[in-house]
Amino acid sequence: MLTKLREFHYLEPSTLSEALSLLDRYDGKAKILAGGTDLIIQMKQKKLTPEYVINLKKISELDYIEYNGQWLRIGPLVTHSMVANSPIIQKNFPMLVDACLAIGVPQTRNRGTLAGNLCNASPSADTPPALIALDAKLKMESSDGERVMDVEDFFSGPFGTVLKNREMLTEIKIPSLSEWSGGAYLWVPKITAVDETLVGVGVLITLNPDKRCKEARIGLGSVGPAPIRAYKTEEFLKGKRIEPDLFVEAGEIAVSEASPRSREDYRREMIKVFVKRALGQALRKIEGAI
Amino acid sequence: MAKGGFWVEHLINLKINGEPYKVSLKPNTTLLDFLRDEIGLTGTKKGCDTGQCGACTVLLDGKPINSCLVLAADANGKEILTVEGLGRNGKLHPLQEAFIQEGAVQCGYCTSGMLLSAKALLDEDPDPGEEEVKKAIAGNLCRCTGYVRIVKAVLVAARKMGG
Repeated sequence: MLTKLREFHYLEPSTLSEALSLLDRYDGKAKILAGGTDLIIQMKQKKLTPEYVINLKKISELDYIEYNGQWLRIGPLVTHSMVANSPIIQKNFPMLVDACLAIGVPQTRNRGTLAGNLCNASPSADTPPALIALDAKLKMESSDGERVMDVEDFFSGPFGTVLKNREMLTEIKIPSLSEWSGGAYLWVPKITAVDETLVGVGVLITLNPDKRCKEARIGLGSVGPAPIRAYKTEEFLKGKRIEPDLFVEAGEIAVSEASPRSREDYRREMIKVFVKRALGQALRKIEGAI
Repeated sequence: MAKGGFWVEHLINLKINGEPYKVSLKPNTTLLDFLRDEIGLTGTKKGCDTGQCGACTVLLDGKPINSCLVLAADANGKEILTVEGLGRNGKLHPLQEAFIQEGAVQCGYCTSGMLLSAKALLDEDPDPGEEEVKKAIAGNLCRCTGYVRIVKAVLVAARKMGG
């Protein structure tokens, strides 16, 4: 059978420090299993043939969604369904719910994790553009210590991250949204069995009381080798009065920041459409909340 | 991990359709292969074996998952429901009856997975609308029916069950 898994050692550490020391010991020969919806497929395709598989599910300290009013913290065992069903996230970070619901199908959402979606680093992943817009930070730990970085710096290329063999993504942190902010995640899928995302756009804007843009954050997915933060578009919006007239130009600038490799024309058009539409939705959300 | 024996069998306890099992298996066994080849429950189907078609859908602690993407070892301590566990005391589940009545089964290969995705939906939402049904079965591909009769059957079953 082509899809038969090669043999491997199966390890079930019960603490994070145990898991990190296993990663250390089997440097480069081990893969981490959380949801498995990407890992098991790649192992079946023999793209990955780890000697050791380290299952995290016995580590209860990695399974949490916590919000203290300043930071939302999500552990690496949290699935897309858990994010989508979390009342805290629905209330405070609805864009993240939309991004998680954009992922495949119930079977995948029930099993796959947010952290795994980041680590798999598919260029078409749905959560990175939303997390870029939400200014998410990623905590990575190894036996030597920890480091924290912005989510947009985590990706190195298609299916590549800056994570070292001995490191694990151990937390996703999102700051609370300031007053007068609103956002949206919009996407369009390819029509295939797995409905992979063709273009995904995450937008978050914060306004001053005079309706001028205090901050803008825009993430683009599936339009380049890795998720893109649209810095130029953000700069363009900053300080300006946010009105629908601006949205078309913002969309055009965002297109210049993308580098789609296939279905180029369509993808470029859809970036324009989604940046414009997401800015409109974000503005309406802010106006609705005032 | 035993010395010398490089690939060690792994001991797990789990419940399948309400019955407890204690088994030793190789870690590279998927839950799908375990159910079909070790336990003999062949109602769960193998389609793509890579998480795209949903034919292998079972409920793990009440939630639909693709059993081809789950290691059997990872189901330790869990409860699994397969299509064989849907009916009770020799009687079909209302969903199964509705699938027959509404002609929602053609070749039948997707049916087990469809039934389980539908069961998970009705457990959570006893009175779903058409849209909810479509979303719930979005991960189960059917190449015969065009889905219309399947969606209808789920709605009929929901009504029958008093939702």
